[in-house]
Amino acid sequence: MTVSERIEQLKTEALSAVATGVSTADLEDIRVRFLGRSAELTEIKKSIGTLSPEERKEVGRSSNLASREIEAALGARTEEVAAREQEERLRAEAVDVTLPGVPSQRGHLHPSQIVIDDVVDFFVGLGYRVAEGPEVETDYYNFTALNIPEHHPARGEHDTFFLDEGLVLRTHTSPVQIRTMLSQEPPVFVVCPGRTYRNDNDPTHTPMFHQIEGLAVDRGLTLAHLKGTLAAMARHVFGEDAEVRLRPGYFQFTEPSVELDISCFVCGGTDPNCKVCKGAGWLEMLGAGMVDPSVLEEVGYDPEEYTGFAFGMGPDRMAMVKYGVPDLRLFFEGDLRFLRQF
Amino acid sequence: MRVPLSWLHDYLDFDLSADELVNLFSLRSQEIDGVYRFGVTEGDVVVGEVVEFGPHPNADRLFVAKVDLGGREVQIVAGAPNPYPGARVAVVVPGSVMSDGTTLREARLRGLQSYGMMMSERELGISADHGGILLLDDCYEVGRPVAEYFPVGETVLDIDVTPNRPDLWGMIGVARELAAILGTDYRIPEPSFEAGGKPTHDFGLRVEAGDLCPRYDLRRVSDLEPGQEAPLWMRRRIYAGGMRPINAIVDATNYVMLETGQPIHAFDAAMVRGGIVVRRGRAQEKITLLDGSTRVLDEETLVIADEERGLVIAGVMGAEDAEVGEETTDAVIEVANFDGRNILQTSQKLGLRTDASGRFERGLDPNMVSYAMDRVSALLTRAPGGRVADDTLSHYPEPVQPWRVPMRLGRAELLLGMPVQVDEASGLLESLGCEVERTDGRLWATMPTFRRDLRREADLVEEVGRLIGLDSVPEMLPAVPQPGALTEAQQKTRSLRRLLADLGLSEAITYPFGPERWTEDLGLEDGPIGIENPLSAEGGYLRTSILPGLLDAAARNRAFGARGGALFEHGNVFFSDVPQDDLREAALRFRMTGEVGAQLAEGLMGVREVSRIGVVLAGTVRPAGWNVPEFRAGFFEAKGLVERLVPDARFVPTERTYLHPGRSAVVMVGDTEAGWVGELHPEVAGRFGLDGWPVAALELDTALCQPGPEPRFEPFFNVPAVARDLAVLVEERIPVGDMLCSVRDLPGPLLTEVRIFDVYAGSPVPQGQKSVAFGFTFQGEKTLTDEEVDAEVGLVLSRLEDEFGARVRS
Repeated sequence: MTVSERIEQLKTEALSAVATGVSTADLEDIRVRFLGRSAELTEIKKSIGTLSPEERKEVGRSSNLASREIEAALGARTEEVAAREQEERLRAEAVDVTLPGVPSQRGHLHPSQIVIDDVVDFFVGLGYRVAEGPEVETDYYNFTALNIPEHHPARGEHDTFFLDEGLVLRTHTSPVQIRTMLSQEPPVFVVCPGRTYRNDNDPTHTPMFHQIEGLAVDRGLTLAHLKGTLAAMARHVFGEDAEVRLRPGYFQFTEPSVELDISCFVCGGTDPNCKVCKGAGWLEMLGAGMVDPSVLEEVGYDPEEYTGFAFGMGPDRMAMVKYGVPDLRLFFEGDLRFLRQF
Repeated sequence: MRVPLSWLHDYLDFDLSADELVNLFSLRSQEIDGVYRFGVTEGDVVVGEVVEFGPHPNADRLFVAKVDLGGREVQIVAGAPNPYPGARVAVVVPGSVMSDGTTLREARLRGLQSYGMMMSERELGISADHGGILLLDDCYEVGRPVAEYFPVGETVLDIDVTPNRPDLWGMIGVARELAAILGTDYRIPEPSFEAGGKPTHDFGLRVEAGDLCPRYDLRRVSDLEPGQEAPLWMRRRIYAGGMRPINAIVDATNYVMLETGQPIHAFDAAMVRGGIVVRRGRAQEKITLLDGSTRVLDEETLVIADEERGLVIAGVMGAEDAEVGEETTDAVIEVANFDGRNILQTSQKLGLRTDASGRFERGLDPNMVSYAMDRVSALLTRAPGGRVADDTLSHYPEPVQPWRVPMRLGRAELLLGMPVQVDEASGLLESLGCEVERTDGRLWATMPTFRRDLRREADLVEEVGRLIGLDSVPEMLPAVPQPGALTEAQQKTRSLRRLLADLGLSEAITYPFGPERWTEDLGLEDGPIGIENPLSAEGGYLRTSILPGLLDAAARNRAFGARGGALFEHGNVFFSDVPQDDLREAALRFRMTGEVGAQLAEGLMGVREVSRIGVVLAGTVRPAGWNVPEFRAGFFEAKGLVERLVPDARFVPTERTYLHPGRSAVVMVGDTEAGWVGELHPEVAGRFGLDGWPVAALELDTALCQPGPEPRFEPFFNVPAVARDLAVLVEERIPVGDMLCSVRDLPGPLLTEVRIFDVYAGSPVPQGQKSVAFGFTFQGEKTLTDEEVDAEVGLVLSRLEDEFGARVRS
């Protein structure tokens, strides 16, 4: 058998081995066997120098061709086998995708704060600033400056918590309005959210609760501005379909005073058995009015030049209505079963 | 104020259902608290005459009657024994609906057919009396509907009268208001009576405390028939008005009070010694009231007395001594006006609020006295058949005159934001009882004296606005001449809260007051600020820390089965900041009048409020999952939160009574203490009901937190970074944080990141030492060579050797 014939034979052997190789490891063995350093084909190539010039040319050409052909076959086969192997490996790595993932703990904001942030954002968007004040207030700021002098019957309705001489836990956020007006000239556009306190405890009253009050003082402000502003707020918080209506009200520091109702956002007044509005179609939402001229005078504003409106709402109650919470006391117990729902 | 609608119809004509009335009244005047129904709301009640009456053959406690309903005899089973043959009764016809919603049907009761029912006073809404069947007198004609004599059903509106409207505490005032709303007329009864009774001036009248009693009128009504009951129509109105019928005289005074809003008192003339004296109480003077209680008076209490003893705490309640009763034949009637503020104080002091004091305390119109006096006189001449004296004793030195208030139409339009027509405004004010003139472009309204709340232009604008209807006010948005924004502090508070919620904590809001034990249980020294009138002893002191409220919440969660939890709260804590003695007076003046004087207002408040954020991690915050270990409360879990809230914080070991002495630290920002973090002392955890649970907590001043520091760009180079590790041995007492800081402080820009990835003590590390393993990342402007990195690690090592006696762990 000539060398060339042997080469041809080796090539055939090799190609048939490659074709039957079933794993990348097999194929590597085959590569070593036919193309490795001590493979017969390699030996043949090494011995080319000992051959005659004619043979040298012939053997050189055919051995190179054979190597290239084997390598090409090996390469193609390896790729094929490797792809299959990878696929098998990935299949073996399959997980139960229905098992829970690594948890990222979800936290919760308090429902009253969610409403407060929402209302505050609405007013900031309109151009209001946010004013804050102390929760321990003086008698003067909490009452007298708001047109509720000592011994006034309206004081009795505030169920005030008293501290040291002349100090109280504020019964509303209205003193913040006074502090704001005393510290600046008009125009004033502020909202004042915060905790307030009254000596009361039942399913709809807690000794601490939140208020958001608003105050606008400028030239030419009217009840229509109050109504438009609060209607826009109601639509922001309770949805585009919310309607508002004004009813007469009574507050010491506003004149005229009004109460504002919003249309029931659950039934829209169509369900006489509605759990939210009890069939009334309207929900009492806040008290408001045009700032009383004597309050403006008390802080040194000229009531002939400036008018203003003020309003106050209970974000806890709004949250109760919005989320359907039946008992206000749940808000302040720190119970995770409650907090985790928001 | 309870308004029976059948009564209201006496004063004006209207054709509105209760629902329509409620709606109209709420939109134009006052809120309606409720609608109550009494008696028979649908169907008929007929006068019947009992023909036969006897026991039910099959039941011990039942009776059976044959009743003539006017040519038709029916059999009725009854539960009360008082009817008798010849008695007239009110029989409700089957199919009628009662106020509780039940429909009466013909039925068989213990074997006997029963048609309808003979009604008690309660079933007819006349009184609370359900002791027997109502017997009618002979003027009720058999077979006629009872409704021809008095309403057999009643609807009552309960008006929530605002404090500025005492005129609505009487039916006439409500009628006037409704007439103004409907734009219609109303009528009030003309009192008429014949005088000629015994003279009032047999008694004296002396008003000593004129400052507390602007008006006092006295009139005698004699020759009364004793022991009379008020007529049925009056009793049912008194009952529907929310009061209890008592006797003919008292009921007449109460009736007129419900009608006019003016409280009236009747004395038994036989018991009045000498005359009536209106005076202040005397020190230690005692008076035993109708409710049986004995009260000690003082000089601020106004007393109606005779020459010998106190008879009434003015405007509040009378004593038994001179009260009219079953034997009274001669009465002296008081119709007076008292200082509202004084009545309110007395009523609060005594803890006694009556129908009378509730009206007086709002401030009544003294000019209402005459009408009320005539009205009660007229009523007393009827049922109890009294004779009214020719004379009235009156103390009214300064009669209240009507006052004028101007209103500019332009001002009304400005405040209301809607057009107001001059005729409309003028007509509306007139409907409220004003006299209106138009001069120099204004409406000058003369106020009726019963509208004491209408003093200023704005008050009139309100009246005009509500009567036009606030639904006519358009919706407009004002132009706000400033950009809106949160302040930096407000923005920070919000970021802090959102950050903690994003990190998996739940926001709680707890009461900032608690029991005194909060301070004791935490072992705090500073006394908290006390509340003088707490809801209960559990809420008597303002908090000085967010911690106890959150611990109580954690304990509550545990009690309901939680295995742990992570809560945070943002809020204020309160510290006493008592002004020095020489400032006490200034402080009190500031608190009462707002006057600051030479001082700064802050110094006079007496309380320092600090905004804090607090966190409590308790128990197993997150239980293990199939792929994650459990997350338990511990020092480093809490500290990790602090590092997010205050990135620049330093941690200095501390010892606080409520914290684990070895696992707690003060959080420093620069030289300022921003708060603390630590594990709760197990003893304290136990006191809060958290025994056996790991609890870690932190509390920080919000002002010193930096949840979102202002970003600043640092340049970097696109060359590969090199990571190196280094483990060193140091003495166990060396704080690793100090080593970390020291390494970070090294000069040179190549070290970009340092972390601790292992701290280990125990074999094979020698006793008293620990191994600390650092991981470094180096990066330069160009790719670093091994030699360069070796040199950097060498620098770190030599600093650790110099400062902490560290050596490389081999």
